[in-house]
Amino acid sequence: MVLSQSIARSPALEDVTIHIQKLYKHYGNTIAIRGIDLDIRRGELFGLIGPDGAGKTTTFNILGGVMEATAGVAQILDLPARNARNHTGYLTQQFSLYPDLSVDENIHYSAGLRLVPEDQLDARRTKYLKLMQLEPFRDRLAGWLSGGMKQKLALCCALVAEPQVLLLDEPTTGVDTIARREFWDILARLTAEGITVMVATPDLDEAERCDRVALIHTGQIQQVGSPAALKAALHLSRLVIRTADLVKAEQALIPLIEPNGQIADVSTLGDHIEVLVKDAQPGTALVRDRLKQQSIEPIQATDPTLENVFIALLRRKGSIPQSIPFPRSQQFATPTADPATPKLAISARRLNRVFGSFHAVVDLDLDVHYGEVYGLLGANGAGKTTTIKMLCGLLPISCGEMSLAGERGNLRSAALRQRIGYMSQKFTLYDDLTILENLHFYSGVYGIPPRQQREKIRWVLAMCGLEGQEDLLTRQLPGGWKQRVAFGASVMHEPEILFLDEPTSGTDVLARQQFWQLINDFARHGTAILVTTHYMTEAEQCNRMCFMVAGRKVTEGSASEIKAMQPGQLFELQVETLQTSYNLLRQHLEPWRISIFGDRLHVVLDHPDVELPQIRSWLQTDAPSKIQPIPFSLEDAFIGEVQRAGGAPP
Amino acid sequence: MIMRRIRNQFFKELEQFQRDRLGVALAFILPVIALLIIGFAIRLEAKNIPLVVRDLDQSTLSRSYIEQLYATNLFVPAEWQGVRFPDAIDRGTAQVQVTIPPGFAADVNAGRTGEVLVVIDGSDVINARVTQLAVDGVTLSAVQRALGEGQLGELEQFAIVAQVRLWFNPGRQESLFIVPGSYGVILAIFPPLLIAIALVREKEQGTILQLYASSLSAVELLLGKSLAYMLVGLGEAVLLFIVGLLLFGVRFIGDPIPLVIGTLIFLFTGVQLGLIIGIFTTTQSAAVQAIGTIKVLTAFLLAGFLFPLNSVPFPFSVASYLVPVRYYIELCRDVFVRGSGWFGTWYLIVAMVLLGIAEFGIAWWGMRRMQLSS
Repeated sequence: MVLSQSIARSPALEDVTIHIQKLYKHYGNTIAIRGIDLDIRRGELFGLIGPDGAGKTTTFNILGGVMEATAGVAQILDLPARNARNHTGYLTQQFSLYPDLSVDENIHYSAGLRLVPEDQLDARRTKYLKLMQLEPFRDRLAGWLSGGMKQKLALCCALVAEPQVLLLDEPTTGVDTIARREFWDILARLTAEGITVMVATPDLDEAERCDRVALIHTGQIQQVGSPAALKAALHLSRLVIRTADLVKAEQALIPLIEPNGQIADVSTLGDHIEVLVKDAQPGTALVRDRLKQQSIEPIQATDPTLENVFIALLRRKGSIPQSIPFPRSQQFATPTADPATPKLAISARRLNRVFGSFHAVVDLDLDVHYGEVYGLLGANGAGKTTTIKMLCGLLPISCGEMSLAGERGNLRSAALRQRIGYMSQKFTLYDDLTILENLHFYSGVYGIPPRQQREKIRWVLAMCGLEGQEDLLTRQLPGGWKQRVAFGASVMHEPEILFLDEPTSGTDVLARQQFWQLINDFARHGTAILVTTHYMTEAEQCNRMCFMVAGRKVTEGSASEIKAMQPGQLFELQVETLQTSYNLLRQHLEPWRISIFGDRLHVVLDHPDVELPQIRSWLQTDAPSKIQPIPFSLEDAFIGEVQRAGGAPP
Repeated sequence: MIMRRIRNQFFKELEQFQRDRLGVALAFILPVIALLIIGFAIRLEAKNIPLVVRDLDQSTLSRSYIEQLYATNLFVPAEWQGVRFPDAIDRGTAQVQVTIPPGFAADVNAGRTGEVLVVIDGSDVINARVTQLAVDGVTLSAVQRALGEGQLGELEQFAIVAQVRLWFNPGRQESLFIVPGSYGVILAIFPPLLIAIALVREKEQGTILQLYASSLSAVELLLGKSLAYMLVGLGEAVLLFIVGLLLFGVRFIGDPIPLVIGTLIFLFTGVQLGLIIGIFTTTQSAAVQAIGTIKVLTAFLLAGFLFPLNSVPFPFSVASYLVPVRYYIELCRDVFVRGSGWFGTWYLIVAMVLLGIAEFGIAWWGMRRMQLSS
């Protein structure tokens, strides 16, 4: 029996490091995982993507050996997952660090936990700290690190035991776009050394860098394959349409969506509209015909993205959240239609905040009008949250002047607080109350008249897709759903000024789209909105924005103004081996000039006629199949501006 | 290998503990404050009981009787402002009222029975008993004196004379009773509280998942944490002993080795209970409430700290045997007051060892899977 088994095992199977078969997990009556089968090979970078509450964390908990499966097999290196714990590194969704221990102490403790030989500890610690660029901060307490550095430290702690398998549950949530890229660069290097990495992420741009991805929905795996294969299996082409009036163009195209027709999907992403069509040629003609009245730039037909694959899947499953109109009872100001006399909602002059010896915000000037969505963008630790807290009156200012909704003096008066809404980075809901109790509480706090309360609460529940489940305890909700309820709770009282601090962090792409529809809807009805986000595709939807670096404002303007300010010209490179080409070019170009976007490379060049041939020669064997100039996206601008201004603060 | 992981856990706990300066300060200041409050505030000996006297006889004998009452050092004179005689007791200005009727001295001198009316406020049971004994004693000695003045020889005629000697604490110093006991009470509360919070915090912060995801065993985790907080507890104990010596003059009598060993074992039993509560609760507030209730009630009421254990009624009397503080208080009283050495303490240490093993077993059972419960 044993003999026949070892013979039957093919060499390919020998290489399987993670083996999951018919895995089930029940929590009481709810079924989190229903029959997952999966084989992941050594050195693979494997992505697990799915909407909030699809069962990703449960799968990780079982593979990490911290939770028992109800039925089925979960093996790592041919051992039951629990017995393989010494070969596995597991990064949980919460930062798995001791905030009151220093960087060194955290690593030392992890090493002891996993019995790293004492004589090797120092060498390994130095190696990984160097890899993560954390060496200068060895004595800093983990609690004082920025989000991106915390995740890198957590990865260090897992790596110090030199595991063969890494399990990473949404490691880049709440991490800024530059630190996220660095994190994925590190993952790519690790897999090159033969470590198997399984990673969950809500960001589908990142997922493009995986060798293979699995789409998981309601506890089942729907599709597995390389991003290229999944995109090809969609049998659709993607048309990128750039035009001045995105809203109008989208409205014109949406009625054309048919399940089996030419146009499969239309969505606004940042500064452009994406349309999925069956065939590129007739599709382009159809769209062009439909948008006759508008001036549009030439339509580009390209391959679909993973995001398209994901949304198409969810559309098939019928789990696209609906947009439900907000039951409005007041109107504050005329929408931005009348820009001649915009009314100021928030105004700040030379705002400063000092914590001890740390200057968190330096001489910040800021104006936000009613009916405007203003984006506050920056890397982790740039001072965005501090600014928001000062502007909504939660944190006293060190010096400077500000006015909020016309008030200058008492920013903490009850009457004023009634008129503003605030959703913080951390969940503002009570974990031990039910969803309904939470909503009742907040509607009471904000003094919503009893007659409107029921209607508003019903709206929040409908918007979150939680009707009939309002008696669930809030802590039982997956992170992304809590976020939606928290958003609902913060807008129920129809605030005239709304502060949103990373409202979309950790939520899936659909929830993010829905959030932005709501944000835009509120702005159209006159609410002034100040929002922070790490997703630049979202930031494109802000009317105006600023980039902050180390507490200072470095750039301000509308998305198109900021893009126009960028130096040089941007080129998109399509290459076969993304990571190798990227590493090659990194040796020659300044860091801000090159970055990975999905499955493409973006390169900023000052003198393309000289530099393009150079790039071709550097890449040699892996010459790009296609090089084309493209307009700057906000994300390109952000990476360039922030890195040129001194980069992300430690 | 096991030792290395225990050591690793031990040092990490201490690093975390000392990082929070306020926490460290509280861990050492609060026990001392508790010792001061308990040591100075608790007075079991009845003193300063307000007494009202109505002397209607106004004779030499009645006055000397009253003098003797005050000479017990038990009573202080209270003012009687009422209209009716019982007013002072009704109002609570006096707890005892003595009325000496007219003709008291005449009766005694004539060989008749002299009568004195003593009314005691019985709502305070302890003081009432003490007062009753004191009044009886004063009356007896007054009678003896009166008799002695008349017929001296009769004293020798008593058949039995008890020769009472107070050992160990001849001056009946109360601090010698309270302070060693309070060591037990204080050390029963603080170390378990600290370790329970440390464990629950790992759950709240989610770092416990990292422990589950490594192959650290329950025994290694529990011992590592226990040893760290036993060390903290030991620091608290030494501090308490020093303060007790300086402020209350409580010093070692005889062999201190039983105290050293007993303190370590007692701290072990304490932190095991802290761990058990940390394992079965999920929030810091629940853990603090559980420790507060269990430890404070058992230490004060079921450990013989203030009230003698032999008078505790049936089901509770059995429960008191499961309370480690009971044995530790006994041990402290031996080492600091009696000084009988191993002879009078070995069985106390054995009892604590048994309880400690049982508690460790329960903690291990609760933690044995090192997994999330579904």
